[in-house]
Amino acid sequence: MASRDIVAYETPWTKVFHVFSAIFVAAYLVWTLLPIFIMFVSSFKDLLAAFQLPAIGDWSGVGVFFDFTPTLKHYQSLFTDNNFKVYMLNSLTAAAGSAVVSVVLGAMAAYSLSRIDFRGKNDLFFGIISTRMAPVVAVMVPLYSIFRSLDLVGTLTGLILAYTTFNLPFAIWMLKGFFDNVPYAIEEAQMVDGATRFQAFRSILPLVAPGIGAFVVLCILFAWNDFLFAAIIGSGGAKTLPVATRELVQPQNIQWGSIMAAGVVTAAPMMLLGLVIRRYMVAGLTMGAVKE
Amino acid sequence: MAAIEINEVWKYYGSFPAVKDLSITCPDGSFLSILGPSGCGKSSTMRMLAGLEHISAGEILFDGERINELAPKDRDVAMVFENYALYPHKTVFENMANPLKLRGVDAAKIRERVVSAAELLELSHFLDRRPQELSGGQKQRVAIGRAIVREPKLFLFDEPIAHLDAKLRAHMRSEIKHLQRTLKTSMIYVTHDQLEALSMSDYVAVMHQGELQQWGTPREIYEHPVNAWVAGFVGEPAMNFVDCEVVSAADKVHFRHGNFSLPLSDEQRAKLDAGGAPKTVRLGMRPEVLAISLDKPPADHITGHVHVTELLGGDMLVSVRLGEERIRVKTSPAFAGTEGAPCYVVSERDKWHAFSHQDGRAYF
Repeated sequence: MASRDIVAYETPWTKVFHVFSAIFVAAYLVWTLLPIFIMFVSSFKDLLAAFQLPAIGDWSGVGVFFDFTPTLKHYQSLFTDNNFKVYMLNSLTAAAGSAVVSVVLGAMAAYSLSRIDFRGKNDLFFGIISTRMAPVVAVMVPLYSIFRSLDLVGTLTGLILAYTTFNLPFAIWMLKGFFDNVPYAIEEAQMVDGATRFQAFRSILPLVAPGIGAFVVLCILFAWNDFLFAAIIGSGGAKTLPVATRELVQPQNIQWGSIMAAGVVTAAPMMLLGLVIRRYMVAGLTMGAVKE
Repeated sequence: MAAIEINEVWKYYGSFPAVKDLSITCPDGSFLSILGPSGCGKSSTMRMLAGLEHISAGEILFDGERINELAPKDRDVAMVFENYALYPHKTVFENMANPLKLRGVDAAKIRERVVSAAELLELSHFLDRRPQELSGGQKQRVAIGRAIVREPKLFLFDEPIAHLDAKLRAHMRSEIKHLQRTLKTSMIYVTHDQLEALSMSDYVAVMHQGELQQWGTPREIYEHPVNAWVAGFVGEPAMNFVDCEVVSAADKVHFRHGNFSLPLSDEQRAKLDAGGAPKTVRLGMRPEVLAISLDKPPADHITGHVHVTELLGGDMLVSVRLGEERIRVKTSPAFAGTEGAPCYVVSERDKWHAFSHQDGRAYF
């Protein structure tokens, strides 16, 4: 990615602007990071310590917040009393499963839409995209009733199908852009060299790998963080982390420590994933958009 | 090796005919160029030969066998694309090995064939590199290598050297010609560059607006163009065209123009009569068959004024004004005429071409 020096000249206005933007960025960071920070710190606190907060306006009392003996008991209880190992596995299976199904079907559909002209192609493409325009809640009831009559409610298969329903149009839309940027000549060369259409399709997959990678990450993020589908379609047999966390809130007993620990357990893998792939992610998301 | 026959082939895109009733043959083992400007249907023709486009009507025969319905992979042709079409994520070796791998050739045999092709194309040192580490000329050689490892029936080259710089183009021209002579595989070469077509091929097919204009050896195309369009397209600098009247005077037929009156030979006169004895013609003269001088010559000549001179190193191109029209003369750099000076152009009568005013067809 080419970056260029931006020629800037200082004027009183730009100075004011710089100060203003610094303040804005600082406030924004506090706003976004503080809850995560509190969640992280509180997950290591006793219930008592968790509620030792300084009074509003008492800035000198901030020390109270950090005055505690760290404990891992919330994490232990998650995995011993609460079956979080199973829920984590459920989350992982549902996320990875729907990513795989969406990528396989999505890549083939995107390739066809990119390469083959047929009547009604644009309408079909719009139809595919339009399924993403309706809010999830709008289709939840019919979806639930379909899934129930197919005995898919409370199964991981059902959950994977539900996520795929929403990820597949996105996969097609995103990957079509990537396929559009691969020159026809490469697969034509393959076909003249002796490949079938399907072999030619497979041969250009490495060229859309950044797109596939970016999509897989977005797909996993969507499924991993989803609550609505998991709560309704997955309820019972296919409990995922967000749903399990929600169930720690019981009418007579809100287990704050466990909730915070569950939050960390849920958020940490995705944050790590984000850190690892962020470079590829940017490359993947922009490569489809900007023709080289 | 195969003899290729294209029989009355049409290609429609929607209702637009890109190729109209095309019939061309490429005898076994020969080098055929399809020459024409962009949009003339030459690439569509090549893609129909490769099987990348359906044939709307007509048929294509390889050694007398109809191949219209065969998938590209079953036609046993190898194609080199204008933009190389190498696999960017594979090494040169893997690129060249790919067609053999797809055909299930065993690894030892693949290595042997790729290595020998790489030697022929002087690519031996680059086998482990990836395409983006190569120059344009090297990439094109890899693409050619990928085509030759397979020993196909027919080579299809689609403007393979159009993207290279002028010097490398000249080098690759002779390399490709030599390669084809060595392998003796039939080759169909698509180009918009008349110089490539003339210098490399055994046969040239000139296309314009989807139609075949002329098919013949490069010499025939150059010396006996069938119409004004071919005459103007082939040859650099382009042929001069001057509109003249046909008049009879003193039992000779003359081409008359404000700046000259040139008598025809009896043979030329007979051809003109056979063509319907037109009242007007377009006289065509190649810049290289004209001679220019500042002194009035005794022979029949054209009078004009020097418009502009262009020095091309070893040659000089003189643009001569004949009233409103201009003709160009290729001469030696010794020519000393300055702009506006009166000058005299002499032309060998045998090298004249005469074309119909109406449809451009050649009388001679």
